[in-house]
Amino acid sequence: MMAIYAILALSLNLLVGYIGLPSLCHAAFFGVGAYIATLLVLTNTMPFFLCVLIGILGTVVLSFLISFPSLRLRGDHFVLASLGFQTIVFSVLYNWIEVTQGPFGIAGIPSPRLLNWVLDTPWEYLLFSLMAVLLSGMLLYWLGQSPFGRVLKAIREDELSTAALGKNVRLFKVIAFAVAAGFAAFAGAIFAGYLRYIDPTSFGLTESVFILSIVIVGGAGNTLGPLVGTFLLLLLPEVLRFLGVPESIAPNLRLVLYSLLIIIIMRYKPQGLAGEYQYQ
Amino acid sequence: MSRLLLHRVTKRFGGVSAVNSVSLEFVEGKIAALIGPNGAGKTTVFNLIGGQLNLTHGQIFYDDVEISNKLPWQIANLGVGRIFQDGRVFQKLSVLDNMMVAFPKQKGENALWSLFARGIVRRQEKVLNQRAYWLLETFGLLNSTHRLAAELSYGEQKLLAIARLMASQPKVLLLDEPTAGVTPRTAEKILRILRQEADAGKTIVVIEHNMNVVSQCADVVHFMESGRVSLSGQPNVILDRSYVKQAYLGM
Repeated sequence: MMAIYAILALSLNLLVGYIGLPSLCHAAFFGVGAYIATLLVLTNTMPFFLCVLIGILGTVVLSFLISFPSLRLRGDHFVLASLGFQTIVFSVLYNWIEVTQGPFGIAGIPSPRLLNWVLDTPWEYLLFSLMAVLLSGMLLYWLGQSPFGRVLKAIREDELSTAALGKNVRLFKVIAFAVAAGFAAFAGAIFAGYLRYIDPTSFGLTESVFILSIVIVGGAGNTLGPLVGTFLLLLLPEVLRFLGVPESIAPNLRLVLYSLLIIIIMRYKPQGLAGEYQYQ
Repeated sequence: MSRLLLHRVTKRFGGVSAVNSVSLEFVEGKIAALIGPNGAGKTTVFNLIGGQLNLTHGQIFYDDVEISNKLPWQIANLGVGRIFQDGRVFQKLSVLDNMMVAFPKQKGENALWSLFARGIVRRQEKVLNQRAYWLLETFGLLNSTHRLAAELSYGEQKLLAIARLMASQPKVLLLDEPTAGVTPRTAEKILRILRQEADAGKTIVVIEHNMNVVSQCADVVHFMESGRVSLSGQPNVILDRSYVKQAYLGM
């Protein structure tokens, strides 16, 4: 799970840390990728990696639907637009029962198969997930360090000046949004293969807020921050378990702790634990 | 030769005409100054040329190509660059990154190139890096290369904004108060560089409030008042008019 959230946080960081767009619909892309890949895997007509690839491409196309109309917006207005998109996707996943099986979810997803390697033990899946994080982290790191990433940071600092230097600000935003959505879809496909069951509740607003929290707590604008955030926020429940907190109150306590942690970090380390950009 | 031509350009905000039927011609190799009291419409003219505002009426031509109402990035890519009154450097980027962003036609700005043709991108970066260092040296910012732009003084930020504009390789430079708030020594340096650029064939238009600067650097002066160009001519002729002194300097 940590690997999956690391990919989600790293990809959202491209929007939050590089362009300065706090998106609240990352779980929607996560879900769309998971559902497309799952539905294709269940047809038994194509290999797993092709299902994942189509899931990614489908999600990227969907990302254009939100990015074209909403990327003109900034700050609070963009947050509200992304929230609207998140709600629409969740409603579709929840209510389009003929395709998604709605609240019942889709069970019996077969183990992913890469050529002749069937990933049916947790250790094999862990290895596969680590490879996926490594690949995603490397690609996103290269993007962040490249001239492409530099322009994204310039857009974050001053859109007007960036455009006056001949950069098509809107196109850069649309591409960054598509890249982030594509990686979220990739994480979704891995998630579905891991749990072998998906339902819409895994892709709701709470999940989007959680992914955003990871980026903000860990720190935005570099690769290390989201990784630190993932470790911290996903290990917290395990720490609670280790401390012998009763299971009945652990979920609520986790929420309280998250909130407290975010408040403390935002107060004393507003750029996050390892980030280089202070989201404003 | 005329490089930038404004033909009866008008900009209205509601019922107010910020720019009213302005026709101007800016030629290559010359420095033109737009002067006038606050609210005369000088910055609005820059915003209309740069595409930051849309025209209400009129036409703007760059090298005989109409650029009226094109998008700012399209106008910049054609060769019309500008700096804003407050410089607007990228505060949380290093001085070097501020420069590197500005270079046009970078292969690595394409996400696919930056992922799958890293060698080619790296080679181009190396060349651009050298150019950036050379420009920073010219502008006296070499010692600040790796500092954040936010850590520079106001004058240094102005210099960085102009250096960054040079890196974008424009043929027309629109400079909104390039010497405001800088030390006399820095102002002198800026004016020397602008003259060199004009001599190299660039078209330079400055908005300037400092009459000494105008008389030192401008080849031609356009006096604006209430959204109109009321006088145009050589600096010594325009600046000597009692009308200008009264309207502009309150003398």
